[in-house]
Amino acid sequence: MTARDAILSRLAADVHSERIAAEAAALLVDPPLPPMPEGDPVDLFLDKLSEAAISATHDRIGNIAALPAAVVRYLDKWRLPHSLCLPPDPALTELDWAGFELHATAAPDETAALALALAGVAETGSLVFETGPHAPMLPNFLCLHHLVVLPQTAIVTRLESVVNAGLQPVRAHYWVSGVSGTTDIEGQYVRGAHGPRYLHVIVVDDA
Amino acid sequence: MSTAAFARRVDKALGDPLLKVALDRTAGTAEAKRAVAVAAYPGFDDARDRAAAIKDHVIANLGHYLEQLEANAKAAGARVHWARTADEACRMVVDICRAAGAKSVARSKSMLGEEIGLPHALEAAGIGRVETDLAEHIIQLADERPSHIVWPAMHKTREQVSDLFRAHHREPHHEESIAAMAESARRELRQRMLGADVGISGANFLIADSGAVCTVTNEGNAELSLVPPRVHIVTAGIEKIVPSMAHAVHMLRVLARSATGAAITQYTTFYAGPRRSGDRDGPEEMHIVLVDNGRTEMRNGDLAEMLRCIRCGACMNHCIVFRQIGGHAYGGTYPGPMGSVLTPQLDGLKPNRDLAHACTLNGRCQEVCPVRIPLPTLLRGWREKSWREGLEPISVRSALGLWAWFVRRPRLYRLVGSVGARLLSAWGRRGWISKLPLADGWVEHRDFPAPEGGSFMAQYRRQRGGR
Repeated sequence: MTARDAILSRLAADVHSERIAAEAAALLVDPPLPPMPEGDPVDLFLDKLSEAAISATHDRIGNIAALPAAVVRYLDKWRLPHSLCLPPDPALTELDWAGFELHATAAPDETAALALALAGVAETGSLVFETGPHAPMLPNFLCLHHLVVLPQTAIVTRLESVVNAGLQPVRAHYWVSGVSGTTDIEGQYVRGAHGPRYLHVIVVDDA
Repeated sequence: MSTAAFARRVDKALGDPLLKVALDRTAGTAEAKRAVAVAAYPGFDDARDRAAAIKDHVIANLGHYLEQLEANAKAAGARVHWARTADEACRMVVDICRAAGAKSVARSKSMLGEEIGLPHALEAAGIGRVETDLAEHIIQLADERPSHIVWPAMHKTREQVSDLFRAHHREPHHEESIAAMAESARRELRQRMLGADVGISGANFLIADSGAVCTVTNEGNAELSLVPPRVHIVTAGIEKIVPSMAHAVHMLRVLARSATGAAITQYTTFYAGPRRSGDRDGPEEMHIVLVDNGRTEMRNGDLAEMLRCIRCGACMNHCIVFRQIGGHAYGGTYPGPMGSVLTPQLDGLKPNRDLAHACTLNGRCQEVCPVRIPLPTLLRGWREKSWREGLEPISVRSALGLWAWFVRRPRLYRLVGSVGARLLSAWGRRGWISKLPLADGWVEHRDFPAPEGGSFMAQYRRQRGGR
């Protein structure tokens, strides 16, 4: 008997999959949610970003063409070189990046990387990403400054809105809710444990 | 491990002047933060009911969900392996590493990995292992075991961490601050994660309807350990399944609040299979090792409720015993109340019968458990089993026999009780007893309160008479 058969034989697999599916669906009805203040999801999301738990900064631009200028604003504020890890996403690469040193793969000590988020969630201040040919994952964890482009229309209230929207069957979905941090030494919080130390969200109003 | 070994470990813990400070610092902070998070979530008790119901539903239909997970993980390109025992699981992981020609693996903290002894198995196989969670990195350098399931290095002071980093890091910290030490670990570990051949993780959740594996971290070390290597291996207990991502969302809400008081962890990732055609990064192979190691037995026996556990650590943060003795004293992989329930199952009741007794049954663990595991009831179950199987020592058996003899003779019992109480009261000094024949175990590390009035029955009669 294989290990698989041995384990499953002890579990007497139930064949009434319709009943199981109905029970599983019932467990999602009217979930007891954490309360949220009233208001526009965009405002709530931006408020959440500035809370200590997320401690992200943000900027708003009218349309995507203004993105390079917004990135310059951010890099200049930190006196960083105009060097950027930019994913090979046509929506981003076709913009006018004159004056930038761009690269598609991240260096081990990458200073700044830009990424396009799939959604923003007001409940938790989470940014939702998916992997794909235009969206590598690693730069968003290697960089010190994580810059995220988020269309205003992609901001939702609850995590459920993201999950129920029908996500693509990609290799990985990841939710970023703040910067890399640790409390592993004497419980004291340190920013930038392994991944980004700074998170900056650029909301595109007319996307 | 024997009873004497447990007592020795407790003695050692109680004699460590730094441990209590370290425990209060980390567990105390977690306790306070959880209280704030729960106060801000008026429906939290309902959320706990729902979380328990989701887990119970999965455990009741575990065979169905395992088959569903297997089919969907395979469809996503992952390979699924089944392991009955810890040894079988370790062998599978080592075989996969060998087949991949792996010289080094990056491991993202997983309690299941600790449970099955994976660090040791990799070492024995001559495969270099880099622990990437900061706390696991610290205890790897110190060659110790985790003392908490969320903060494995909570027993270490900053001075001890500093010494370890100076001894082992190529480019250690220049100043004595916790931030500088974290930076030193960042420098040290980054290259190793990027150079690893295999990334190994556990799973916080297995998503049945997509075949995905979910990890949560605040450091981002899971992603940095699992994306660059050519092979990703997941070792997960079979109870980690949830039906869908939507169910996982609900579990994540109670998990993060119970563990750290946060609304969500910084990084929550769902990995479904290896890299797709055209993808810029991600492993070429993904393996999921589904580990039983006693879980089917727990489910079919008296410990099914324990399979709800989502490893948040709230029970130990709130346990007055854990807060005194810390995690190492428990002797198993899992400390605290949940560990006292799991360890006898995993490592045998006979050498671990003391764990069920090292509990006041005050019920704090059950009050804070996000999935409402009746931990005190399960601990009592182990006490009963230990008694039934004759594992209790002769001193305990005869003392209980004597008590049973008296308690069946109420008049005599009350007489002996009230005389005893008066004697104890006279024996005490300023209301406290610090020396007591036959009760060394109690008074060695703390004083016993001297009885103040009459017995319970005497007071009961007085109060009733007064009405």
